[in-house]
Amino acid sequence: MRRIEDHPILGKSERGRKVTLFFDGQLIEALEGEPVATALMAAGHRVLRYTHQHLEPRGIFCALGRCTDCMMIVDGQPNVRTCITPVRDGMTVETQRGQGQRRDQQPLRGGMD
Amino acid sequence: MRETEIAVVGGGAAGMAAAIEAAKTGARVTLIDENERPGGQLFKQIHKFFGSGVHRAGRRGIQIGQELLEEAQNAGVEIRLNTAVYGLFSDHCLGLICGDHTEELQAKVIILATGANENPLAFPGWTLPGVMGAGAAQTLINIHRTLPGSRILMVGAGNVGLIVSYQLLQAGAEVMAIIEGLPYISGYGVHASKVRRAGVPILTSHTILKAEGKEQVERAIIAKVDERWYPIAGTEQILEVDTICFAVGLSPLAELAWMAGCRFTYIPQMGGWIPIHDGNMQSTDPMIYVAGDLAGVEEASTAMEEGRLAGLAAAGALGGLSLEEGEEKKAEVRERLAMLRVGSFGEGRASAKDQIIRARNQV
Amino acid sequence: MKEDDLIICRCEEITLGEIKEAVKLGMTTMNEIKRFTRAGMGLCQGKTCRHLVANIVCCETKQPPSALVPSTYRPPIRPVSLGILSKRLSDDDPKERLP
Repeated sequence: MRRIEDHPILGKSERGRKVTLFFDGQLIEALEGEPVATALMAAGHRVLRYTHQHLEPRGIFCALGRCTDCMMIVDGQPNVRTCITPVRDGMTVETQRGQGQRRDQQPLRGGMD
Repeated sequence: MRETEIAVVGGGAAGMAAAIEAAKTGARVTLIDENERPGGQLFKQIHKFFGSGVHRAGRRGIQIGQELLEEAQNAGVEIRLNTAVYGLFSDHCLGLICGDHTEELQAKVIILATGANENPLAFPGWTLPGVMGAGAAQTLINIHRTLPGSRILMVGAGNVGLIVSYQLLQAGAEVMAIIEGLPYISGYGVHASKVRRAGVPILTSHTILKAEGKEQVERAIIAKVDERWYPIAGTEQILEVDTICFAVGLSPLAELAWMAGCRFTYIPQMGGWIPIHDGNMQSTDPMIYVAGDLAGVEEASTAMEEGRLAGLAAAGALGGLSLEEGEEKKAEVRERLAMLRVGSFGEGRASAKDQIIRARNQV
Repeated sequence: MKEDDLIICRCEEITLGEIKEAVKLGMTTMNEIKRFTRAGMGLCQGKTCRHLVANIVCCETKQPPSALVPSTYRPPIRPVSLGILSKRLSDDDPKERLP
């Protein structure tokens, strides 16, 4: 879960400038423009959300924006596919539990019945 | 509503090749891709391609992707990125999602080059963070330059499993093993040798029983299987891995073709349900062409040639190419395609393609 | 974990057992299974699970895969909010542009 700085074929990493994002209150260093999910992965965080019914952990699965397992609450917006969402300086990212709700909404009834 | 002459859905190898070929005849071409950059799988492919010079052998997918993009731009193709096609409606009108709004695009001819999706492999524990498709791992390491983990188990010894395992090694991960349920390796020998030489054991007739871990993958339990694929008691092994990748085939992403009423045929060795097409890549809807993995899962080189064929045929349908010139150019492409479908691996695909074309001619 | 507890539809958390139960109850087409169990009705629109569901249904009904057509594809085939779907932009009629 670390960055590949030097690669036999791709050469040295020429990434964007360093930015900061807040993940569940923690400060995480990221590279501008990279997907949120990979920034978290590089920082050692692979659990991105917990499911609605069984509250089970999920992380990157398809890395293409197709499967939805990487959905998190980004800047207050739930169900954001973080594997295809580029990082912006100062972004807030939260582990999504269940179906997620926007800050301005009432919490949705979730968890097991 | 906007209009175009030829709309190409999907900007991967097939889509870009189709758009370039059609644009060179003077047609107005719009290439649509839902990602933030085109190239599809090409930008994940850091290994050198096989084939002859005309197939850009010895070149890496990333280079080819870049070249196609430049060619498309130079040929005057209108490229719309971050744009997803949400529907294909009657009269060949496409519904597009463009960021914060939708649009409609009216095309005279549509070329679908939407590629294929990784097949899942379900086993107890497969929903744990750390389990992902081999293609997903490839995206992470080659495009985002981030390792998905440090100790990897690869399930599947086809070409994708072998190639991605090697690329994971290049990226600095440890691949503990590659397991394959079949009693043989279905990928090319050259790829298998490479990973073996790098110290990765390839265990045929093995399956994964489960993945374990509290919040993410911590270990995998594998076992040998008998000829009916039942696990053999007593052969269980625990592999201390933090990542499990599966490479168990791809299936065409054919939603738009189904929606448009195109007819399909089921061909397991090409990925399952394949839109029926003829030797011009024309589907059962005369104004819809298909190319690349959507028309049967093969390789990047065949995708590019099929794209060219579809582009030429679509341009011809609009009168942008004389019948003679069109047939001549298409014959060249078909010859190159035939060259790619040879040998023990290629012959199976060649006959599958013949089957599809026969089905089209019967409709 | 019991074999039937295996999650098949990751989005909706539908298990192998639920799908097999649906088949036992008489659902044998992909459309029926989808509507009854919700497998394939999550945000990924079945992209991840349809291959698995098809295999299970074929196994349970002893049909070859060629006999089981996929569930019907209707627009939108990509997840999109109603807000965006209704904000339709049109070149030739600026009045059609919704606020």
